[in-house]
Amino acid sequence: MLNYSLRRLAWAFPTLLLLITVAFFMIRVAPGGPFDSEKNLPPEIEQNLNAKYHLDEPLVQQYFRYLGQILRFDFGPSFQYRDWTVNQLIAKGFPVSLSIGALAMLLSFTLGIGIGTIAALRQNSVLDHGLMGYAMLGISIPNFVIAPLLILVISVYWGWLPSGGWEWNWRNMVLPVITLAMPVTAYIARLMRGSMIEVLHSDFIRTARAKGLSEMTVIRRHAMKPALLPVISFMGPALAGLITGSVVIEKIFAIPGIGSFFVQGAMNRDYTLVMGVVIFYGALIILFNFLVDLIYAWLNPRVHYK
Amino acid sequence: MKKKFNLMRLPFLVILLLLNFSVSAGEKLVRGLGPEPDSLDIHLAQGVSALNVLRDIREGLMTLSAAGQPVNGVAESIDMQADDRLAIVHLKQNLNWSDGSPLRAADFVRGWQRAVAPTTAAANAVLLDSVVNAKAIRLGTQAIDSLGIRALDEYTLEIRLNRKLPWLNWLLAHPLTYPLADSLTEKTEAVGNAGHRNGPFNGAYSLTSWTPNDRLVLIRNPHFHSRESVALERIEYIPIPNPNTELNRFRAGELHMTETIPPARFNWLKENYADELKVYPYLGTFFLGLNLRQPPLAGNTNLRRALLLAIDRDKLTALVLAAGEKPAFSLVPPGLGEYQQQYPGGAGQQQAARETTAVALYRQAGYSKENPLHLELRINSSSTHRRMALAVSAMWKQNLGVVTRIVHEEWKVFVNNRNQAVITEVFRGGWIGDFPDPVTFLSLFISDNVQNWSGYESLRFNNLMALAEDQANPKQRLQLLQQAEKQLLDDVPMIPLYYYVSRHLVDQRVSGYSDNTLDIHLSRYLDLEQR
Repeated sequence: MLNYSLRRLAWAFPTLLLLITVAFFMIRVAPGGPFDSEKNLPPEIEQNLNAKYHLDEPLVQQYFRYLGQILRFDFGPSFQYRDWTVNQLIAKGFPVSLSIGALAMLLSFTLGIGIGTIAALRQNSVLDHGLMGYAMLGISIPNFVIAPLLILVISVYWGWLPSGGWEWNWRNMVLPVITLAMPVTAYIARLMRGSMIEVLHSDFIRTARAKGLSEMTVIRRHAMKPALLPVISFMGPALAGLITGSVVIEKIFAIPGIGSFFVQGAMNRDYTLVMGVVIFYGALIILFNFLVDLIYAWLNPRVHYK
Repeated sequence: MKKKFNLMRLPFLVILLLLNFSVSAGEKLVRGLGPEPDSLDIHLAQGVSALNVLRDIREGLMTLSAAGQPVNGVAESIDMQADDRLAIVHLKQNLNWSDGSPLRAADFVRGWQRAVAPTTAAANAVLLDSVVNAKAIRLGTQAIDSLGIRALDEYTLEIRLNRKLPWLNWLLAHPLTYPLADSLTEKTEAVGNAGHRNGPFNGAYSLTSWTPNDRLVLIRNPHFHSRESVALERIEYIPIPNPNTELNRFRAGELHMTETIPPARFNWLKENYADELKVYPYLGTFFLGLNLRQPPLAGNTNLRRALLLAIDRDKLTALVLAAGEKPAFSLVPPGLGEYQQQYPGGAGQQQAARETTAVALYRQAGYSKENPLHLELRINSSSTHRRMALAVSAMWKQNLGVVTRIVHEEWKVFVNNRNQAVITEVFRGGWIGDFPDPVTFLSLFISDNVQNWSGYESLRFNNLMALAEDQANPKQRLQLLQQAEKQLLDDVPMIPLYYYVSRHLVDQRVSGYSDNTLDIHLSRYLDLEQR
């Protein structure tokens, strides 16, 4: 197990390096540069700017300069937000994205597993169809439809919760977390229902029931763990997606997370900001997938890593 | 087994914990800011949002009144000498920075020198080109201390200009010319550019916190020279680039003033928020640029004028854009004092007659419905631009038979193509004036201007602009500029479509708000009626 973990971790470095290289050259291929704007700069000022940010050097030299910076965990200054370094921007935005993403994950995990289990136990009942119908809706209605609806009804008409913005306070978190959690909850519920039904039909459950255990004990002690396996393997990409992919939510609710930097950075050709966020996300996703594999191994007695 | 139940309780625990963090909001003015400010460094800031915040937290020799007119700021008085090419500025007495340290004439010298230093690479540095040696310093051929500004004593500044500058007062109110504290310079050198967030400040407010994409919090500056006239204790600027989000937050009562409105909601807002909606002419013109460097538009004035006249601007602004814009036939927008508006030949008639003229000109240029002109119209993607482009191409098609291909481009791609002027034919243009002076618009079309996207080259126009620059008599200067614009419009290097308007929602509890063409509303003049 330890051996396997170390090997997996060792692989993370070439993966990251590949990511950095591809991203670095891709953003440079995009037409336009960080200093192009409505007002053209006089050529001598543009030269001064390029010199200041080393953009006048050959691209390969810039690439190695950048690699050297990353080794020191320095993502450099942002080209667009010139009073900030990329490190500062990520440090400010990540806690916000993380808390919304983690809360949404917790919510969808608890709700999704609950709903999926109940639906599986009452297979083909009205309750089952109702819950799965909701799940289908949750998967198919996009965020950018649900969010404005919630804002309109709950914030504008009823005035119960703020329509957007950010405080470290539950009132500002409710709507974005619900919106973000909705499709994931639905997805987990469907996964859970499917795997629970499958597990409930397996031999060891029949054995457990034959021993005379109560249904509750059968579910909790025997069925839950194996039924969770597909949900766990979905959790890695889902968590990465929740934390990184909340771009739309952050925009609609005006939340100062990291996702908006991703989009703004690309639009502004803010090379350093885009690179910083890409590397940061990349590292996170690699980490999550690694953790999920470990949890998976721990839950599933049939998986052995060598 | 117990473990799992603890895990399930976690969300409730987290929510309980967060309950304790809720802070009750006191009375404060909350303003929408538009996009996140690019920088609060007076020399690097370019975006409107950054400049607006800077005007609240810092102040120059001049500042702007609630009505958007230049009034004395840090300066007590300004004496103009030597044919208006020498300004002796007397500062107010006992001025302080927000940290209590004295603000003196030397702080202006320091600021201006940094503004033009090549290492600063300030995008707006060209604004100072009329100051003695500024351009040479910017180009790196002169030493920084040769700049035409010096402190005669602690409270007196001497500014030397190359020529009389009609908009000097506006320049002295621009953040580029603000003072720079000694301590700030050191801090800036030490930690990237972060010093500019920390002050010290010399405006009506001090910036106390700034979280990107979240908010900027401003608190009244106790050292401000006119502190007793500042009503509000606390201002919060909320950067919200998306106008729909901003509207939601206004409707939910979380904003007192918005930066703009979603254009598509204009009519709805006119009905439902009539008292809150403020629409006012803005110092800017939207136009379509024409590339004069290559066929089919090069050397074909008749064709260009046909395209100009075939567009029904009333329909375009009233029905298609429908968000308060005003139809335009000139580059210089109305409302610039004595300056008389100019119109291109053929514009001074009814639309039906313009269209008849357009058809005749189109024929003269060698095109007809059977042999139509194929044209490319390049825009940067936005819903307003898309509707504009569709309407314009439909009008060209209907009235002349022109076949237009609309090319959408992402912003940076568009800007890049427009600058190179190699593949463009017709492209989105537009300009917001730096100062309410015709020159900020007209100078775009001087042959060697970097913004001359059309490649317009007219000896007569250049000469008139040069004559106006040297003309000391204000009335004659304006006449020269009017002649220049008339020449420009008759040559049709661009097609004016409409004048911009500023659009805000302002809560009825806000007082002291005054519409103005610059669309600058300093927080120090605003007040909020308590509930």
